[in-house]
Amino acid sequence: MKELREANGGLSQAALGEAVGVTRQTIIAIEQGRYSPSLETSFRIARLFGVGLEDVFGWEGD
Amino acid sequence: MSFREKSAWVMAAVMLLSGLFYMKSALPYPGSPVMETVVPYVLLVIVLSVAGQVVLAIRSPDEARAPLDERERLVVDRAGYWGGVILAAAIVLAGIAYVVAPNGNMLFHHAVLALIVAQVAQYILQIILLRRAL
Repeated sequence: MKELREANGGLSQAALGEAVGVTRQTIIAIEQGRYSPSLETSFRIARLFGVGLEDVFGWEGD
Repeated sequence: MSFREKSAWVMAAVMLLSGLFYMKSALPYPGSPVMETVVPYVLLVIVLSVAGQVVLAIRSPDEARAPLDERERLVVDRAGYWGGVILAAAIVLAGIAYVVAPNGNMLFHHAVLALIVAQVAQYILQIILLRRAL
């Protein structure tokens, strides 16, 4: 997500958070892998960057 | 530090300080009428809480107006759940103390202390969860 922010004119964490309806601290937690966002927020982030969900988020499960 | 975390710090400090004030008032006279200790305590909690939240809101008006986001809501819910568990356990202890020493005023003081402990624990848990992300 950090790479996508930087590729989109260096969008700040606060601006991204405001655009998708979460706080800057939540964006930081998502980027650090400490918080898994809701499906709605995930879609909002992906749509904001104009990419698919799996281009932003991955899942390392079994 | 997020606005919610600052708010939780303020409320934890308010509950802790007012709790110490309550204990200082109630402990010397544990069987005394409850109104003399409860009314000043409630007034103190209201004044300190409102003052603390007003100062925070003046310093960060935009953040104060913003609703809780999804992560903050989860944090508040989880901390509220454990606060409730602690309150229930402390109330059971207060009931046991009443069986051992049946004094209605003491039971009331123990119940208020249970509420204070649960509130402090709830705000501290909010701070921990907000820092850990969840």
